[in-house]
Amino acid sequence: MDAKFRKVLALLLVFALVAVFAVGCGGGEEEEPADNGDGVEAPTTDVKAAMVTDVGGLGDKSFNDMSWEGLLRAEQELGVEIRALESNEIADYEPNIDQLANAGYSAIFTVGFLMTDTTTAKAPEYPDVVFGGIDQFFEEPAENQAGLLFKENEAAYLAGVVAGLATLDSGLDDRINDQNVIGFVGGMDIPPVEKFEVGFIAGARSVNPDVEVISLYAGSFDDQAKGKELALSAIDQGADVVFAAAGLTGLGSITACQERGALFIGVDADQYETVPGSGDVMLTSAIKRVDTAVFETVKAVVEGTFVGSENREFGLAEDGVGLAPYHDFDSAVSQDIKDAVEEARQAVLDGTVTVPALRSEL
Amino acid sequence: MPELKTEHSTSRLAAVLRELAVPLVSVAIAAIIGSIIMLIAGFDPLAAYAAMFKGAFGGGRQIGETMLRSTPLMFTGLAVAYGFRAGLFNIGAEGQLFMGGLSAAWLGIVLAGMPRPLNIILMLVAGAAIGAAWAFIPALLKAKVGAHEVITTMMFTYIGRYIVSWLVTGPLKAEGQIPQTNRLPVESTLPKMHEMLPFLTPSRVHLGFVVAIILAFFIWWVLKYTSLGYESRAVGYNPWASETGGISVSATTIKALCISGALAGLAGVTEVMGVHMRLFDQFSAGFGFTGIAVALLAKNNPIGVIAAAILFGGLSAGGGTMQLEADVPQKVILIIQALIIFLVAAEQIARWVIGWTDRRGATEHAG
Repeated sequence: MDAKFRKVLALLLVFALVAVFAVGCGGGEEEEPADNGDGVEAPTTDVKAAMVTDVGGLGDKSFNDMSWEGLLRAEQELGVEIRALESNEIADYEPNIDQLANAGYSAIFTVGFLMTDTTTAKAPEYPDVVFGGIDQFFEEPAENQAGLLFKENEAAYLAGVVAGLATLDSGLDDRINDQNVIGFVGGMDIPPVEKFEVGFIAGARSVNPDVEVISLYAGSFDDQAKGKELALSAIDQGADVVFAAAGLTGLGSITACQERGALFIGVDADQYETVPGSGDVMLTSAIKRVDTAVFETVKAVVEGTFVGSENREFGLAEDGVGLAPYHDFDSAVSQDIKDAVEEARQAVLDGTVTVPALRSEL
Repeated sequence: MPELKTEHSTSRLAAVLRELAVPLVSVAIAAIIGSIIMLIAGFDPLAAYAAMFKGAFGGGRQIGETMLRSTPLMFTGLAVAYGFRAGLFNIGAEGQLFMGGLSAAWLGIVLAGMPRPLNIILMLVAGAAIGAAWAFIPALLKAKVGAHEVITTMMFTYIGRYIVSWLVTGPLKAEGQIPQTNRLPVESTLPKMHEMLPFLTPSRVHLGFVVAIILAFFIWWVLKYTSLGYESRAVGYNPWASETGGISVSATTIKALCISGALAGLAGVTEVMGVHMRLFDQFSAGFGFTGIAVALLAKNNPIGVIAAAILFGGLSAGGGTMQLEADVPQKVILIIQALIIFLVAAEQIARWVIGWTDRRGATEHAG
């Protein structure tokens, strides 16, 4: 009797589990890529473009999703057949690339610096396939291989101009205090994040030489509790604008700003759009247009103008980085600030200002 | 007499089959539930499983990929299984694995220029030693003050991971942008198996697979035929009776957890020497934790660990093909893995409860 009861209980639990998974899967389905166009008549080409995600996978609201956006645009505008393979673990990188190359994909994007070694190893193996490495710097890229990097410092420079002026402008919002302090929260201390930090500091100092920038690093991109803790400590030291370049860690910093009353500057995507409910603190975002880099590369492959053996840097001039709209703060942000940002953008574009990328250049 | 003999051997066979039934049925149920989930989500489960099988065993290269992915799971599965046999839950295999990987990444550079066989042996031994050392303090705390190993080994996992994190971004960081150690020279790496078995070309599987298989049989032998193994099992069954019987429970606990740590350390060594050739933050895909599932599915039998690890390795290797050919997201693999773990674990719980009630019934009768 007892044993029977246990069996029934086990079965019930299993079914409950199935139900939970089914709901989970149903919800996730929309995020999965459809592998064909939506009937929109696009120009045709025999180029097939694909991407291999890093372990974050699709749905990360960051560079994996943005790379996919770039491919979607290529599908619509260029008629390219597209595909994304997700990686559950690092061991998946290499077989995923092999699968795509053997299935006839002629442009393969590998997303994230962790794939640098694998991409370098695979490029010579498939000389007919073009490889684009997002956030990857290649020492000696092959003819069919290009690193796609971003001038994060230029986007952060504009964000720094906004933050440096906003912290002085108590008319902007009642959360702006009288201390001349702003905060930066970084994920891991790796080059793209350092570029965000350095650009931010340089931008803030360019309009507000006496500003104090509190820089803190979480040591990971997926620790929201740490992101919150660091932002709270910056706010407690007087920061009223916090910029986080920290992936998921930064979501915790948003919460901190909401709880402790400070303004926030987002990163990578326009986080006003991608993080629902953050509009009350989201001043703007420093955007990294991974989608543009992917699209432009596919376009070059389609048009036969792709040039390999190089590391391409996408900056303000290439529309590879930029500043998001102010959204809910659009009326609060003074015309002076907007003009200053525009002035800074022009200065970077015409080369009168070179934004530093390393701490040693500050 | 001959009749009796056949009866004896069939009952032995039946016993083995009974033992195999639980894991096999669990895997089958997991596959069925997995296909229901795929149907609900709008995928074709038959195509998915066919593609998965093809991706895991469809050719030399696929088989090699499955072997590659099962290798670390064999080491960590053995580690956890050995601990369980001695009544210890080494949940911190991941930390011991990280320390093993660290020792290989460091020693491999130091030993540059030395003969390859020497390097391989030294690096394996050193990795096992540091894995054991990483388990030693939790073992000592368990034996002397009774601190539970689930807490202490887990805490040591955090310490190990953060030490590695610090070293690869700081003192051991290679030139360049990426937080990782320098690439190991070829004499400090494990040979690829396709150099000996051309059938496996061009897969990445390395000699670590053979080391893992040999170790599985060695651990089986240790547990079954040595006094060390006997003492471990005795303490696992009943520490009080063992103590009364003249076995030092604290000494056996320390030995068993250190052996477990050594096995987990080897997983890190072979991943660094055979797969990545260097160390970085995310070099382990949670192998220490998946090892718990492998040990559970294998019912802590070292030979069973080989089979369970190959199953998990095959699931992981087949996932990519399933994704490409059947359009099923790779995450489905994780769901099926979770279902297998759940079902096996649920069975273990049930068995434990049955065993416990039986024992209690027996003592009440005796009283």
